[in-house]
Amino acid sequence: MASTELAPGEVVAPPSRAAPPKIRREQIQRQYARLGWTFAAPALAVVGIVTIAPILFAIFMSFEKVNVTSAGFSFSGATLSNYHTMVTAGLWHHALWWTTLYTVVTVAVEMVIGTIFALVLERLTAGRGLMMALLLIPWSLITVISAELWSYIYNASYGILNGLWPNALGTPFSATVALMVADAWKTTPFVTIIVLAGLVMIPRELFEAAEVDGASGWKTFWRITLPLLRPTIGIAVLFRVLQAFGLFDLPYVLTNGGPGTSTQSLAILAYNTMFTNIDFGPGAAVAVSTAVIVVIMCLVFLRAFKQQVGSEEVPA
Amino acid sequence: MKRTIQEGRAAHARPRRVKAGGAVGTLAAALTIAGVVAAPSAMAATRHAPSITTITWWASPISTSGPDLRQTLINAFAKQNPNIHVKLETAPTNTDTNRADLVTTISGGAKTPDVFMGDVIWPGQFGAHALALPLSKYLPKSFFNRFASGLVAGASYKGQVYGAPFFQDQGFLYYRKDLLAADHMSVPKTWEQLRSEAATLVKQHKVKYGFVFEGQSYEGGTCDFMEYYADTGGQVLNSTDTKSVLNVGKVTKVLSFVRSLVTSGASPAAVSTFEEPQAMAAFQNGEAAFLRNWDYAWSVANTKGMKSAGKVGVAPLPTFAGQPYPGYSNIGGWNLYINPHSRNIKADLTFIKFITGTEAQTIEARPPFSEIPTNAAVRANPKIKALNPPFAVLSKTKLVPRPAQNPNYPRISQAIYSNFNSAIAGSKSPSAAANAMASQLKAALSSSTGL
Amino acid sequence: MSMRFQHGWRRWVNIPTVGSVVIALFVLLPLYWMLASSFKSQGNVSASPPQLFPIPIATSSYNQAFSDGFGGFILNSFVVATCSTALVLTLGILAGYSLGRLPVRGKYPVMVSLLMISVFPTIAVVPSLYVAMRTIGWLNTYQALILPYTAFNLPFAIWILRNYFLGISRSMEESARIDGAGAVRTLVQIMVPQVTPGIFTAGVFTFTAAWTEFLMALSFDFGKKTIPVGIASFGAQFTVPYGAYFAASVLATVPIAALVIIFRKAVSSGLTAGSVKG
Repeated sequence: MASTELAPGEVVAPPSRAAPPKIRREQIQRQYARLGWTFAAPALAVVGIVTIAPILFAIFMSFEKVNVTSAGFSFSGATLSNYHTMVTAGLWHHALWWTTLYTVVTVAVEMVIGTIFALVLERLTAGRGLMMALLLIPWSLITVISAELWSYIYNASYGILNGLWPNALGTPFSATVALMVADAWKTTPFVTIIVLAGLVMIPRELFEAAEVDGASGWKTFWRITLPLLRPTIGIAVLFRVLQAFGLFDLPYVLTNGGPGTSTQSLAILAYNTMFTNIDFGPGAAVAVSTAVIVVIMCLVFLRAFKQQVGSEEVPA
Repeated sequence: MKRTIQEGRAAHARPRRVKAGGAVGTLAAALTIAGVVAAPSAMAATRHAPSITTITWWASPISTSGPDLRQTLINAFAKQNPNIHVKLETAPTNTDTNRADLVTTISGGAKTPDVFMGDVIWPGQFGAHALALPLSKYLPKSFFNRFASGLVAGASYKGQVYGAPFFQDQGFLYYRKDLLAADHMSVPKTWEQLRSEAATLVKQHKVKYGFVFEGQSYEGGTCDFMEYYADTGGQVLNSTDTKSVLNVGKVTKVLSFVRSLVTSGASPAAVSTFEEPQAMAAFQNGEAAFLRNWDYAWSVANTKGMKSAGKVGVAPLPTFAGQPYPGYSNIGGWNLYINPHSRNIKADLTFIKFITGTEAQTIEARPPFSEIPTNAAVRANPKIKALNPPFAVLSKTKLVPRPAQNPNYPRISQAIYSNFNSAIAGSKSPSAAANAMASQLKAALSSSTGL
Repeated sequence: MSMRFQHGWRRWVNIPTVGSVVIALFVLLPLYWMLASSFKSQGNVSASPPQLFPIPIATSSYNQAFSDGFGGFILNSFVVATCSTALVLTLGILAGYSLGRLPVRGKYPVMVSLLMISVFPTIAVVPSLYVAMRTIGWLNTYQALILPYTAFNLPFAIWILRNYFLGISRSMEESARIDGAGAVRTLVQIMVPQVTPGIFTAGVFTFTAAWTEFLMALSFDFGKKTIPVGIASFGAQFTVPYGAYFAASVLATVPIAALVIIFRKAVSSGLTAGSVKG
């Protein structure tokens, strides 16, 4: 193996021997803090410049009476009516409920299957690279195309699944399951890859020690693997929840929110309100409220996973 | 020419000083002013020097295979107008995606596309939000006499015409001549007759599905619903397009009928997930005896290699028993609109005049394109009528538009198609779906919001 | 990695291999269907009952995709995705290291803000970003997509890289510091090689996100269509051109597969790092 690439492995050799000298520690600390900001600044600047202004603008729109004219957006006064319209709309209630259900079920299923896949692949001695490449294909498919692929598979007139699962998109329940299957196929690899990357970071010695102690595979999994995987799984859950809650392309292509409006996600509702019905105020309200809900979920989640996600370094 | 450039610069320079929120409005306003001032000077420039004006035409693909109708028309136009260069921008084929992009672009103040091809159901919305130029302010009344009756009214909103009808479409009944002849059946004149013939053919295993149509929860469901509903004599909106006059009793009759298509075995349960492509596939694969579809279905069904090829008949749609035959066909098709920010309005109008004139309309009516022309003179031409069997049926059909003259049309349509779909799927009873339709329609019309 | 010696059928019929076959089938069956359908003729794509094998093999869908401009779309996608990924990784490694390892004050609010940004629905920001892009004259340029893709994918990259940086033992970094290595050198020579799996993960996900993004590409870069926008104009009003979609998709998958093969060393060194230690 190339020596340069494995250099870090060799650096492990002289482990935590010397503690840093305490003298001038604070000065070094300050120096590193300054350095930290220097390192973080370019990324934060790009994110800030490109995203903050449009997000603030969307929030602003959600509190305004917006009219779309050829002269662009015109605003006629601050109002809460967009949010009032939203919370009284049956469509919003349904979309919120449905999106939440969809997110919880899909993410849970994907996490379980993805973790199992990762555990299997981790034990694979040969062909792991091939399997990785294979897993990346569904994930890398253009979402609209993978949605079209599933619409082709489910097609009620000539779909390949038509015999086994006739009229898959025909009822609200069946259509929801059909969307979940398509989603799980495309995004389980995402979970697998993240968990696998976390899995190989676990020091081998721990497993060997467990083996010496005579722990069963099952016990090792619950006592060692899973706890050590928690930060990784935490991240995977976090980002899958965010993505699933913003579900758009799949129902847009597969069901168009149907039958009726039964599979209309929050993002589709926001999109339809803004671009189909050309009503940007309530549409922005739906979008902003979706973001707020997800942020709250994330904060709760981060609190629960505090140590795991690694916020131990939060300055007091 | 100099003035144009200066105005152009002003338009770019000004918005930079404006901050966040107001930027969009002010910016677009600045552009509009610049656009209006610049347009005449640009025209002046073309008069002095034989410089070429380039206009962008935004249009989604029309023909599936073979030569491109859009390009063919552009080439014909170029021969007569060497000073105007038309640049084609291929738009997304999904109508909703197409509209979303236009809304972003035009409300964002973009000067291109100059001319865009848009759905016949857009005038209310685009007119209300000033996303299209009112053509009637720029063209004499006499110009609009060239179109077949009813089309201009459909392209208008509040007394102004926004779209120039480009090609028309409408619902037809396609049937398998061989299957009907074998069972000594006649082409159905009523929906009830259609249902019983279709159910019989399915029961005798002559065909897998009897009658296929568009039952999915999408715009096409509204098209199909309007045909049945017009056959009962029902109307959706009052004469000013502001209030619902939906007749729940008549709607219930329609929804009970479409549900009975499924329960009697005349149509498959999956018809509630069918859009045009699925319905078309079932028919071309020889699995369906009857098909409700648009003009294009004729050439597809008769394409070599399809199981339906050479066995297809076309007729006006049936009506309910006791009503005068034929039934109503819904109007579809596409118009040409002008971007209000276009700097080349004169050239845009020249292009529109050409596209709706006899030469271009004859091109689009001829094979391989076979689109229904909007120009009345071309439609009346017996040579054109003889080109395509659906054209021959054309003069016998009765037309019903969708209630698109209200800017809230997308919500109106959603109230219609989602309940039409629920009734077909059986997830709501016909009367429950009819009541839901009425109340959602009222909500769509009474509130000024899009949610 | 220790080699376990097993004999006869048990060498092949064990959990990892059988499990891998199951995983492969899960992934491959729909992909096979896509591949097979891309080689069917126009009529056979919608044949009922469906053809299990594309016989006769027809390349008309591929011709269709190319005659509709697929060659240009793939170039545009490639430029945009590659540049976005390079930017995201460069900026993301710096920021992830800083937020994970350096004593920066206020990192928790920064991390949460980043999260909130990545949550925000794209649809809500497209209208105002459009106007901004038009104002600075960036419409129909590569940077009109590279910059937003970088900005919207950075939060994920920073999060994931920070997590990896946190996982490296402190002693390693400190021993490097004692050796007198500067911060930049410590990062590049000691830290970065430790987080190869994270870099790979962040890179692949950024590339994929840029490769597949639709709404912004549709709005800002219609003149430089990326693949998803390009194929949105395949077909015509009442036809779903499955054949052309699938042909385009098969072709669009090739660069991703190539990417994995090119970077397989990084991937496998990242993924075997753990076992080397043991």
